[in-house]
Amino acid sequence: MAETGLPADPHRLPPPGEWFAPDAERHLLDRPRFCPMCGAALERGMVCESWSGAQRNFMTWCAACSWMGDVVRYDRVAISEQHR
Amino acid sequence: MLTVEQNEELTRVGPGRPMGDLLRRYWYPIAFEQDFDATPSKTVRLLGEDWTLYKTPSGRYGIIAEHCPHRRASLTYGVVHPDGIRCGYHGWKFGFDGQCLEQPAETESSNFRDRVRAKAGRAEPLGGMVWVYVGPEPAPLLPRFDVYVLDGVRDIGYTTLPCNWLQIMENAVDPHHVEWLHGYYFEFLGQIGGFEAPKSFQKKHVKVAFDEFEFGIIKRRVLEGHSDEDDDWKIGHPLVFPYCMRVGGMWVDQMQIRVPIDDTHTWKLFYTLHHPEAGTWERQDRPVVYEFPWRRDDGTLITDYVEGQDIMAWVSQGPIVDRSTEHLGRSDAGVALLRKLFKENMQLVRDGGDPLGTVRTPHEIIELPCERDKFGAGTAFTDQWIKGGSMRYAPIRDELLALHRDAAQARARAAAGG
Repeated sequence: MAETGLPADPHRLPPPGEWFAPDAERHLLDRPRFCPMCGAALERGMVCESWSGAQRNFMTWCAACSWMGDVVRYDRVAISEQHR
Repeated sequence: MLTVEQNEELTRVGPGRPMGDLLRRYWYPIAFEQDFDATPSKTVRLLGEDWTLYKTPSGRYGIIAEHCPHRRASLTYGVVHPDGIRCGYHGWKFGFDGQCLEQPAETESSNFRDRVRAKAGRAEPLGGMVWVYVGPEPAPLLPRFDVYVLDGVRDIGYTTLPCNWLQIMENAVDPHHVEWLHGYYFEFLGQIGGFEAPKSFQKKHVKVAFDEFEFGIIKRRVLEGHSDEDDDWKIGHPLVFPYCMRVGGMWVDQMQIRVPIDDTHTWKLFYTLHHPEAGTWERQDRPVVYEFPWRRDDGTLITDYVEGQDIMAWVSQGPIVDRSTEHLGRSDAGVALLRKLFKENMQLVRDGGDPLGTVRTPHEIIELPCERDKFGAGTAFTDQWIKGGSMRYAPIRDELLALHRDAAQARARAAAGG
Protein backbone atom coordinates (compact mmCIF):
# COMPACT_ATOMS: atom_id res chain seq x y z
CA MET A 1 0.00 0.00 0.00
CA ALA A 2 0.95 3.64 0.27
CA GLU A 3 2.34 3.36 -3.22
CA THR A 4 2.85 6.73 -4.80
CA GLY A 5 0.99 7.74 -7.90
CA LEU A 6 -2.45 6.58 -6.85
CA PRO A 7 -5.08 8.66 -8.61
CA ALA A 8 -7.43 10.67 -6.49
CA ASP A 9 -10.20 8.68 -4.90
CA PRO A 10 -12.42 10.40 -2.36
CA HIS A 11 -12.52 7.34 -0.17
CA ARG A 12 -10.05 5.27 1.76
CA LEU A 13 -8.69 2.07 0.25
CA PRO A 14 -8.99 -1.10 2.31
CA PRO A 15 -6.30 -1.12 5.05
CA PRO A 16 -2.90 -2.55 4.07
CA GLY A 17 -2.77 -6.30 4.59
CA GLU A 18 -6.47 -6.77 4.02
CA TRP A 19 -7.43 -9.29 1.39
CA PHE A 20 -8.72 -6.93 -1.25
CA ALA A 21 -6.29 -4.06 -0.71
CA PRO A 22 -3.76 -4.97 -3.44
CA ASP A 23 -6.50 -5.52 -6.03
CA ALA A 24 -8.27 -2.29 -5.16
CA GLU A 25 -4.99 -0.40 -5.38
CA ARG A 26 -4.05 -1.97 -8.72
CA HIS A 27 -7.51 -1.12 -9.99
CA LEU A 28 -6.98 2.56 -9.23
CA LEU A 29 -3.53 2.50 -10.81
CA ASP A 30 -4.22 0.46 -13.91
CA ARG A 31 -7.73 1.21 -15.07
CA PRO A 32 -7.84 3.07 -18.37
CA ARG A 33 -8.28 6.80 -17.98
CA PHE A 34 -8.74 7.77 -21.61
CA CYS A 35 -10.89 6.31 -24.37
CA PRO A 36 -8.90 4.09 -26.76
CA MET A 37 -11.11 5.35 -29.59
CA CYS A 38 -11.38 9.12 -29.19
CA GLY A 39 -8.99 9.89 -26.35
CA ALA A 40 -11.60 11.58 -24.14
CA ALA A 41 -11.22 11.25 -20.36
CA LEU A 42 -13.21 8.29 -19.02
CA GLU A 43 -14.27 10.01 -15.81
CA ARG A 44 -17.81 10.35 -17.12
CA GLY A 45 -17.70 6.91 -18.72
CA MET A 46 -17.54 3.47 -17.19
CA VAL A 47 -14.60 1.21 -16.42
CA CYS A 48 -15.53 -2.12 -14.84
CA GLU A 49 -12.77 -4.62 -14.13
CA SER A 50 -13.06 -8.39 -14.41
CA TRP A 51 -10.58 -11.24 -14.43
CA SER A 52 -9.89 -14.29 -16.66
CA GLY A 53 -7.27 -16.18 -14.74
CA ALA A 54 -4.42 -13.70 -14.26
CA GLN A 55 -5.64 -11.55 -17.13
CA ARG A 56 -7.29 -8.30 -16.18
CA ASN A 57 -10.09 -6.99 -18.38
CA PHE A 58 -11.53 -3.50 -18.19
CA MET A 59 -14.95 -3.26 -19.80
CA THR A 60 -14.83 0.32 -20.94
CA TRP A 61 -17.54 2.66 -22.13
CA CYS A 62 -16.78 6.19 -23.31
CA ALA A 63 -19.44 8.81 -22.64
CA ALA A 64 -18.00 11.06 -25.34
CA CYS A 65 -18.01 8.73 -28.36
CA SER A 66 -20.02 5.73 -26.99
CA TRP A 67 -17.18 3.30 -27.74
CA MET A 68 -17.60 0.14 -25.71
CA GLY A 69 -15.14 -2.72 -25.46
CA ASP A 70 -12.58 -4.48 -23.34
CA VAL A 71 -9.17 -3.06 -22.57
CA VAL A 72 -6.99 -5.95 -21.45
CA ARG A 73 -3.91 -5.55 -19.28
CA TYR A 74 -1.23 -8.24 -19.36
CA ASP A 75 2.43 -8.55 -18.60
CA ARG A 76 3.08 -11.56 -20.79
CA VAL A 77 1.72 -12.46 -24.19
CA ALA A 78 0.60 -16.07 -24.11
CA ILE A 79 -1.51 -18.26 -26.36
CA SER A 80 -3.28 -21.16 -24.72
CA GLU A 81 -4.04 -24.40 -26.58
CA GLN A 82 -7.76 -23.75 -26.64
CA HIS A 83 -7.28 -20.47 -28.48
CA ARG A 84 -4.93 -21.75 -31.17
CA MET B 1 -14.43 -4.06 -9.60
CA LEU B 2 -15.26 -0.37 -9.48
CA THR B 3 -13.83 2.56 -7.57
CA VAL B 4 -15.68 3.57 -4.42
CA GLU B 5 -16.57 6.79 -6.21
CA GLN B 6 -18.21 4.91 -9.11
CA ASN B 7 -20.06 2.70 -6.65
CA GLU B 8 -21.44 5.75 -4.85
CA GLU B 9 -22.60 7.25 -8.12
CA LEU B 10 -24.40 4.06 -9.12
CA THR B 11 -26.16 3.43 -5.82
CA ARG B 12 -27.25 6.77 -4.33
CA VAL B 13 -30.86 7.48 -5.25
CA GLY B 14 -31.63 10.72 -3.39
CA PRO B 15 -32.50 14.04 -5.05
CA GLY B 16 -29.61 15.77 -6.79
CA ARG B 17 -27.56 12.59 -7.19
CA PRO B 18 -26.93 11.46 -10.79
CA MET B 19 -28.68 8.13 -10.21
CA GLY B 20 -31.46 9.88 -8.29
CA ASP B 21 -32.02 12.20 -11.25
CA LEU B 22 -32.18 9.24 -13.64
CA LEU B 23 -34.53 7.17 -11.49
CA ARG B 24 -36.91 10.12 -11.11
CA ARG B 25 -37.72 9.79 -14.82
CA TYR B 26 -39.79 6.64 -14.26
CA TRP B 27 -43.13 5.61 -12.76
CA TYR B 28 -43.11 3.34 -9.68
CA PRO B 29 -45.79 1.23 -7.98
CA ILE B 30 -45.77 2.32 -4.37
CA ALA B 31 -49.08 1.09 -2.87
CA PHE B 32 -52.04 -1.18 -3.52
CA GLU B 33 -55.54 0.10 -4.29
CA GLN B 34 -56.92 -1.59 -1.18
CA ASP B 35 -54.59 0.49 0.99
CA PHE B 36 -57.09 3.33 0.59
CA ASP B 37 -60.26 1.44 1.47
CA ALA B 38 -60.18 2.39 5.15
CA THR B 39 -58.21 5.65 5.12
CA PRO B 40 -57.71 8.03 2.19
CA SER B 41 -54.01 8.75 2.72
CA LYS B 42 -50.78 7.00 3.61
CA THR B 43 -47.11 7.81 3.92
CA VAL B 44 -44.86 6.24 1.32
CA ARG B 45 -41.11 6.49 0.90
CA LEU B 46 -39.57 6.60 -2.55
CA LEU B 47 -36.06 7.50 -3.74
CA GLY B 48 -35.03 8.68 -0.29
CA GLU B 49 -37.96 11.05 0.20
CA ASP B 50 -41.17 10.77 2.24
CA TRP B 51 -44.44 11.41 0.47
CA THR B 52 -48.14 11.54 1.27
CA LEU B 53 -50.15 9.49 -1.20
CA TYR B 54 -53.89 10.19 -1.11
CA LYS B 55 -57.12 9.30 -2.85
CA THR B 56 -60.01 11.71 -3.27
CA PRO B 57 -63.67 10.69 -2.84
CA SER B 58 -64.02 10.64 -6.65
CA GLY B 59 -61.15 8.15 -6.93
CA ARG B 60 -58.35 10.42 -8.13
CA TYR B 61 -54.92 9.86 -6.62
CA GLY B 62 -52.39 12.52 -5.66
CA ILE B 63 -48.88 12.52 -4.22
CA ILE B 64 -47.24 15.38 -2.34
CA ALA B 65 -44.12 15.75 -0.17
CA GLU B 66 -45.18 14.54 3.25
CA HIS B 67 -44.25 17.58 5.33
CA CYS B 68 -46.35 20.73 5.01
CA PRO B 69 -44.30 23.71 3.78
CA HIS B 70 -45.88 25.80 6.57
CA ARG B 71 -44.55 24.23 9.78
CA ARG B 72 -43.66 20.72 8.59
CA ALA B 73 -46.52 18.68 10.03
CA SER B 74 -47.36 15.49 8.16
CA LEU B 75 -49.91 15.89 5.39
CA THR B 76 -50.74 12.19 5.72
CA TYR B 77 -52.88 13.26 8.68
CA GLY B 78 -54.60 15.88 6.55
CA VAL B 79 -58.08 16.27 5.10
CA VAL B 80 -58.59 14.97 1.56
CA HIS B 81 -60.68 17.19 -0.73
CA PRO B 82 -61.84 16.64 -4.33
CA ASP B 83 -59.17 19.11 -5.50
CA GLY B 84 -56.26 18.27 -3.19
CA ILE B 85 -55.29 17.87 0.44
CA ARG B 86 -55.45 20.16 3.47
CA CYS B 87 -52.95 20.07 6.35
CA GLY B 88 -54.59 19.03 9.60
CA TYR B 89 -52.47 21.45 11.65
CA HIS B 90 -53.44 24.93 10.31
CA GLY B 91 -55.60 24.10 7.32
CA TRP B 92 -53.27 25.02 4.46
CA LYS B 93 -54.67 23.43 1.34
CA PHE B 94 -52.66 22.18 -1.66
CA GLY B 95 -53.74 21.22 -5.17
CA PHE B 96 -52.58 18.12 -7.05
CA ASP B 97 -49.66 20.07 -8.47
CA GLY B 98 -48.54 21.12 -4.97
CA GLN B 99 -49.66 24.74 -5.33
CA CYS B 100 -50.93 26.21 -2.07
CA LEU B 101 -54.60 27.13 -2.59
CA GLU B 102 -55.69 28.30 0.86
CA GLN B 103 -54.13 29.62 4.07
CA PRO B 104 -57.15 30.12 6.33
CA ALA B 105 -55.33 32.00 9.11
CA GLU B 106 -53.81 34.57 6.73
CA THR B 107 -55.70 37.66 5.63
CA GLU B 108 -57.81 37.31 2.52
CA SER B 109 -55.82 40.07 0.79
CA SER B 110 -52.47 38.34 1.33
CA ASN B 111 -50.92 36.73 -1.74
CA PHE B 112 -48.57 34.65 0.42
CA ARG B 113 -50.21 31.43 -0.77
CA ASP B 114 -49.19 32.15 -4.35
CA ARG B 115 -45.56 31.94 -3.28
CA VAL B 116 -45.87 28.54 -1.62
CA ARG B 117 -45.68 25.32 -3.58
CA ALA B 118 -45.04 21.87 -2.15
CA LYS B 119 -43.12 19.24 -4.09
CA ALA B 120 -45.72 17.06 -5.83
CA GLY B 121 -45.92 14.34 -8.45
CA ARG B 122 -48.49 12.33 -10.35
CA ALA B 123 -50.32 9.20 -9.26
CA GLU B 124 -52.42 6.69 -11.22
CA PRO B 125 -53.79 3.19 -10.61
CA LEU B 126 -52.87 0.28 -12.88
CA GLY B 127 -53.21 -3.45 -12.34
CA GLY B 128 -54.37 -3.06 -8.74
CA MET B 129 -51.37 -0.95 -7.75
CA VAL B 130 -50.99 2.79 -7.34
CA TRP B 131 -48.13 4.20 -9.42
CA VAL B 132 -46.38 7.50 -8.92
CA TYR B 133 -44.09 9.77 -10.88
CA VAL B 134 -42.08 12.33 -8.92
CA GLY B 135 -39.72 13.62 -11.62
CA PRO B 136 -39.69 16.70 -13.80
CA GLU B 137 -42.45 17.60 -16.24
CA PRO B 138 -43.50 16.73 -18.86
CA ALA B 139 -44.16 13.38 -17.22
CA PRO B 140 -43.87 10.32 -19.47
CA LEU B 141 -46.84 7.98 -19.82
CA LEU B 142 -47.26 5.12 -17.38
CA PRO B 143 -46.16 2.05 -19.41
CA ARG B 144 -48.93 -0.52 -19.60
CA PHE B 145 -46.78 -3.65 -19.62
CA ASP B 146 -48.58 -6.88 -20.52
CA VAL B 147 -48.73 -8.49 -17.06
CA TYR B 148 -50.56 -5.49 -15.62
CA VAL B 149 -53.32 -5.37 -18.22
CA LEU B 150 -53.92 -8.90 -19.52
CA ASP B 151 -56.81 -10.91 -18.13
CA GLY B 152 -56.03 -13.70 -15.68
CA VAL B 153 -55.62 -14.52 -12.00
CA ARG B 154 -53.13 -12.22 -10.29
CA ASP B 155 -51.23 -12.55 -7.07
CA ILE B 156 -48.69 -10.12 -5.66
CA GLY B 157 -46.17 -11.19 -3.03
CA TYR B 158 -44.26 -8.32 -1.47
CA THR B 159 -41.70 -7.53 1.20
CA THR B 160 -39.22 -4.81 2.14
CA LEU B 161 -35.54 -5.70 1.96
CA PRO B 162 -32.72 -3.91 3.77
CA CYS B 163 -30.48 -3.46 0.76
CA ASN B 164 -29.86 -1.21 -2.22
CA TRP B 165 -31.99 -1.90 -5.30
CA LEU B 166 -29.00 -2.12 -7.66
CA GLN B 167 -27.62 -5.35 -6.21
CA ILE B 168 -31.03 -6.91 -6.87
CA MET B 169 -30.97 -5.62 -10.43
CA GLU B 170 -27.49 -7.03 -11.01
CA ASN B 171 -28.87 -10.43 -10.10
CA ALA B 172 -31.20 -10.11 -13.09
CA VAL B 173 -28.27 -10.14 -15.53
CA ASP B 174 -26.44 -12.96 -13.78
CA PRO B 175 -27.85 -16.16 -15.35
CA HIS B 176 -25.25 -18.50 -13.88
CA HIS B 177 -26.55 -17.97 -10.36
CA VAL B 178 -29.63 -20.01 -11.27
CA GLU B 179 -27.82 -23.35 -11.65
CA TRP B 180 -25.88 -22.75 -8.43
CA LEU B 181 -28.16 -20.90 -6.04
CA HIS B 182 -31.44 -22.47 -7.18
CA GLY B 183 -29.91 -25.72 -8.45
CA TYR B 184 -26.89 -26.95 -6.56
CA TYR B 185 -27.51 -25.09 -3.27
CA PHE B 186 -31.24 -25.95 -3.32
CA GLU B 187 -30.33 -29.61 -3.85
CA PHE B 188 -27.91 -29.42 -0.90
CA LEU B 189 -30.63 -27.93 1.30
CA GLY B 190 -32.99 -30.69 0.17
CA GLN B 191 -30.50 -33.38 1.05
CA ILE B 192 -29.85 -32.06 4.55
CA GLY B 193 -33.46 -31.00 5.11
CA GLY B 194 -35.15 -34.11 3.77
CA PHE B 195 -37.14 -32.56 0.93
CA GLU B 196 -37.11 -32.84 -2.84
CA ALA B 197 -35.52 -29.81 -4.48
CA PRO B 198 -36.85 -28.77 -7.92
CA LYS B 199 -34.76 -30.21 -10.73
CA SER B 200 -35.52 -27.68 -13.46
CA PHE B 201 -33.01 -25.18 -12.06
CA GLN B 202 -30.08 -27.61 -12.01
CA LYS B 203 -29.15 -27.65 -15.69
CA LYS B 204 -25.72 -26.23 -16.55
CA HIS B 205 -25.36 -23.11 -18.64
CA VAL B 206 -23.62 -23.70 -21.96
CA LYS B 207 -23.78 -20.10 -23.14
CA VAL B 208 -25.42 -16.82 -22.20
CA ALA B 209 -25.91 -13.57 -24.09
CA PHE B 210 -27.25 -10.09 -23.47
CA ASP B 211 -28.83 -7.78 -26.04
CA GLU B 212 -29.85 -4.21 -25.39
CA PHE B 213 -33.37 -3.36 -26.57
CA GLU B 214 -35.83 -0.48 -26.23
CA PHE B 215 -36.85 -1.36 -22.65
CA GLY B 216 -33.61 -2.77 -21.23
CA ILE B 217 -31.60 -5.93 -21.76
CA ILE B 218 -32.74 -9.28 -23.16
CA LYS B 219 -31.06 -12.14 -21.36
CA ARG B 220 -30.56 -15.41 -23.23
CA ARG B 221 -29.21 -18.78 -22.20
CA VAL B 222 -28.58 -22.23 -23.63
CA LEU B 223 -28.67 -24.97 -21.03
CA GLU B 224 -27.03 -28.37 -21.22
CA GLY B 225 -29.03 -30.61 -23.58
CA HIS B 226 -30.75 -27.63 -25.20
CA SER B 227 -30.07 -25.66 -28.36
CA ASP B 228 -30.32 -22.25 -29.97
CA GLU B 229 -33.83 -23.23 -31.06
CA ASP B 230 -35.18 -23.35 -27.50
CA ASP B 231 -37.16 -20.44 -26.04
CA ASP B 232 -34.48 -19.67 -23.43
CA TRP B 233 -32.17 -18.60 -26.25
CA LYS B 234 -34.47 -17.71 -29.13
CA ILE B 235 -36.73 -15.46 -27.06
CA GLY B 236 -35.08 -15.05 -23.64
CA HIS B 237 -36.53 -12.61 -21.14
CA PRO B 238 -35.92 -8.96 -20.36
CA LEU B 239 -34.49 -6.88 -17.61
CA VAL B 240 -36.88 -3.94 -17.78
CA PHE B 241 -34.78 -0.87 -17.13
CA PRO B 242 -34.25 0.46 -14.54
CA TYR B 243 -35.95 -1.57 -11.80
CA CYS B 244 -37.81 -4.66 -13.07
CA MET B 245 -37.33 -8.06 -14.60
CA ARG B 246 -39.97 -9.88 -16.62
CA VAL B 247 -39.95 -13.66 -16.37
CA GLY B 248 -42.41 -16.38 -17.18
CA GLY B 249 -43.18 -19.78 -18.53
CA MET B 250 -46.23 -21.94 -19.26
CA TRP B 251 -48.67 -19.02 -18.91
CA VAL B 252 -47.31 -17.87 -15.58
CA ASP B 253 -46.10 -14.36 -16.38
CA GLN B 254 -44.36 -12.36 -13.74
CA MET B 255 -42.87 -8.93 -13.27
CA GLN B 256 -40.25 -8.83 -10.57
CA ILE B 257 -40.33 -5.28 -9.24
CA ARG B 258 -37.59 -3.63 -7.17
CA VAL B 259 -38.70 -0.18 -6.02
CA PRO B 260 -35.82 1.90 -4.61
CA ILE B 261 -37.25 3.17 -1.31
CA ASP B 262 -33.93 4.78 -0.42
CA ASP B 263 -30.23 3.94 -0.63
CA THR B 264 -30.52 0.92 1.65
CA HIS B 265 -34.10 -0.31 1.30
CA THR B 266 -36.01 -1.87 -1.58
CA TRP B 267 -39.69 -2.71 -1.88
CA LYS B 268 -39.67 -6.10 -3.59
CA LEU B 269 -42.76 -7.34 -5.40
CA PHE B 270 -43.53 -10.42 -7.43
CA TYR B 271 -46.50 -9.48 -9.61
CA THR B 272 -47.74 -12.71 -11.17
CA LEU B 273 -50.39 -13.29 -13.80
CA HIS B 274 -51.79 -16.80 -14.26
CA HIS B 275 -53.66 -17.23 -17.55
CA PRO B 276 -53.14 -20.79 -18.78
CA GLU B 277 -54.40 -21.69 -22.23
CA ALA B 278 -57.62 -23.72 -21.89
CA GLY B 279 -57.93 -22.58 -18.28
CA THR B 280 -61.04 -20.98 -16.80
CA TRP B 281 -61.22 -18.44 -14.00
CA GLU B 282 -63.51 -15.86 -12.49
CA ARG B 283 -62.71 -12.25 -13.16
CA GLN B 284 -60.79 -10.69 -10.26
CA ASP B 285 -61.62 -7.19 -9.00
CA ARG B 286 -58.16 -6.82 -7.55
CA PRO B 287 -55.03 -8.94 -7.31
CA VAL B 288 -54.54 -11.11 -4.24
CA VAL B 289 -51.89 -9.35 -2.15
CA TYR B 290 -49.75 -10.94 0.57
CA GLU B 291 -46.49 -10.29 2.39
CA PHE B 292 -44.09 -13.21 2.15
CA PRO B 293 -41.53 -14.01 4.87
CA TRP B 294 -37.79 -14.28 4.28
CA ARG B 295 -36.38 -14.12 7.80
CA ARG B 296 -37.16 -16.19 10.90
CA ASP B 297 -37.74 -14.72 14.36
CA ASP B 298 -34.16 -15.60 15.32
CA GLY B 299 -32.82 -13.53 12.41
CA THR B 300 -31.70 -16.42 10.21
CA LEU B 301 -32.80 -16.36 6.59
CA ILE B 302 -35.38 -18.71 5.07
CA THR B 303 -33.61 -20.28 2.10
CA ASP B 304 -35.72 -23.31 1.20
CA TYR B 305 -37.53 -21.51 -1.62
CA VAL B 306 -36.26 -19.80 -4.77
CA GLU B 307 -36.81 -16.15 -3.88
CA GLY B 308 -35.63 -16.76 -0.31
CA GLN B 309 -32.34 -17.92 -1.81
CA ASP B 310 -32.09 -14.77 -3.92
CA ILE B 311 -32.87 -12.65 -0.88
CA MET B 312 -30.16 -14.44 1.08
CA ALA B 313 -27.67 -13.39 -1.59
CA TRP B 314 -28.87 -9.77 -1.88
CA VAL B 315 -29.21 -9.07 1.83
CA SER B 316 -26.01 -10.84 2.82
CA GLN B 317 -24.10 -8.67 0.33
CA GLY B 318 -24.73 -5.81 2.76
CA PRO B 319 -26.91 -2.67 2.64
CA ILE B 320 -24.84 -1.43 -0.32
CA VAL B 321 -22.40 -3.87 -1.94
CA ASP B 322 -18.83 -2.61 -1.73
CA ARG B 323 -17.95 -3.02 -5.40
CA SER B 324 -14.41 -1.80 -4.80
CA THR B 325 -13.66 -5.18 -3.19
CA GLU B 326 -15.56 -7.47 -5.58
CA HIS B 327 -13.88 -9.73 -8.15
CA LEU B 328 -15.86 -10.16 -11.33
CA GLY B 329 -15.18 -12.98 -13.78
CA ARG B 330 -16.01 -13.24 -17.46
CA SER B 331 -19.36 -14.79 -16.52
CA ASP B 332 -20.28 -11.43 -14.99
CA ALA B 333 -20.35 -9.63 -18.34
CA GLY B 334 -24.06 -8.91 -17.94
CA VAL B 335 -23.40 -7.11 -14.66
CA ALA B 336 -20.82 -4.89 -16.33
CA LEU B 337 -23.21 -4.21 -19.21
CA LEU B 338 -25.97 -3.14 -16.83
CA ARG B 339 -23.63 -0.73 -15.04
CA LYS B 340 -22.69 0.77 -18.38
CA LEU B 341 -26.38 1.16 -19.23
CA PHE B 342 -26.98 3.08 -16.02
CA LYS B 343 -23.99 5.35 -16.64
CA GLU B 344 -25.07 5.95 -20.23
CA ASN B 345 -28.58 6.93 -19.18
CA MET B 346 -27.38 9.16 -16.34
CA GLN B 347 -25.45 10.99 -19.03
CA LEU B 348 -28.52 11.16 -21.28
CA VAL B 349 -30.57 12.75 -18.51
CA ARG B 350 -27.78 15.20 -17.73
CA ASP B 351 -27.81 16.19 -21.41
CA GLY B 352 -31.56 16.80 -21.33
CA GLY B 353 -32.71 13.63 -23.10
CA ASP B 354 -35.27 10.95 -22.29
CA PRO B 355 -33.65 7.84 -20.81
CA LEU B 356 -34.14 4.28 -21.99
CA GLY B 357 -37.70 2.99 -21.84
CA THR B 358 -39.39 6.40 -21.62
CA VAL B 359 -42.89 6.06 -23.06
CA ARG B 360 -44.60 9.07 -24.59
CA THR B 361 -46.85 7.38 -27.16
CA PRO B 362 -50.39 6.47 -26.01
CA HIS B 363 -50.88 2.70 -26.06
CA GLU B 364 -53.16 -0.04 -24.77
CA ILE B 365 -50.51 -2.61 -23.97
CA ILE B 366 -46.75 -3.10 -24.24
CA GLU B 367 -45.93 -6.74 -24.84
CA LEU B 368 -42.51 -7.83 -23.65
CA PRO B 369 -40.59 -10.76 -25.12
CA CYS B 370 -40.53 -13.69 -22.71
CA GLU B 371 -39.93 -17.40 -23.16
CA ARG B 372 -42.90 -19.76 -22.83
CA ASP B 373 -41.13 -23.10 -22.40
CA LYS B 374 -38.86 -22.36 -19.44
CA PHE B 375 -35.74 -24.51 -18.97
CA GLY B 376 -37.45 -27.16 -21.13
CA ALA B 377 -39.40 -28.21 -18.05
CA GLY B 378 -42.91 -28.06 -19.53
CA THR B 379 -45.84 -28.08 -17.11
CA ALA B 380 -43.59 -29.31 -14.28
CA PHE B 381 -42.14 -25.80 -14.24
CA THR B 382 -45.46 -24.27 -13.19
CA ASP B 383 -45.84 -26.73 -10.35
CA GLN B 384 -42.28 -26.25 -9.14
CA TRP B 385 -42.48 -22.48 -9.37
CA ILE B 386 -45.69 -22.20 -7.35
CA LYS B 387 -44.59 -24.73 -4.73
CA GLY B 388 -40.91 -23.81 -4.62
CA GLY B 389 -41.12 -20.03 -4.92
CA SER B 390 -42.63 -17.16 -2.93
CA MET B 391 -46.04 -18.13 -4.37
CA ARG B 392 -46.07 -20.95 -1.84
CA TYR B 393 -47.14 -18.24 0.63
CA ALA B 394 -50.03 -17.04 -1.59
CA PRO B 395 -53.42 -17.40 0.11
CA ILE B 396 -54.67 -18.83 -3.21
CA ARG B 397 -51.76 -21.25 -3.73
CA ASP B 398 -53.97 -24.35 -3.98
CA GLU B 399 -56.35 -22.59 -6.37
CA LEU B 400 -53.42 -21.61 -8.57
CA LEU B 401 -52.09 -25.17 -8.67
CA ALA B 402 -55.57 -26.43 -9.57
CA LEU B 403 -55.99 -23.76 -12.26
CA HIS B 404 -52.82 -24.84 -14.04
CA ARG B 405 -53.41 -28.56 -13.51
CA ASP B 406 -56.97 -28.38 -14.90
CA ALA B 407 -55.83 -26.27 -17.83
CA ALA B 408 -53.05 -28.75 -18.67
CA GLN B 409 -55.60 -31.59 -18.63
CA ALA B 410 -57.94 -29.62 -20.87
CA ARG B 411 -55.09 -28.96 -23.32
CA ALA B 412 -54.17 -32.63 -23.29
CA ARG B 413 -57.80 -33.61 -23.98
CA ALA B 414 -58.00 -31.11 -26.82
CA ALA B 415 -54.73 -32.40 -28.30
CA ALA B 416 -56.05 -35.94 -28.13
CA GLY B 417 -59.12 -34.85 -30.04
CA GLY B 418 -61.47 -35.19 -27.10
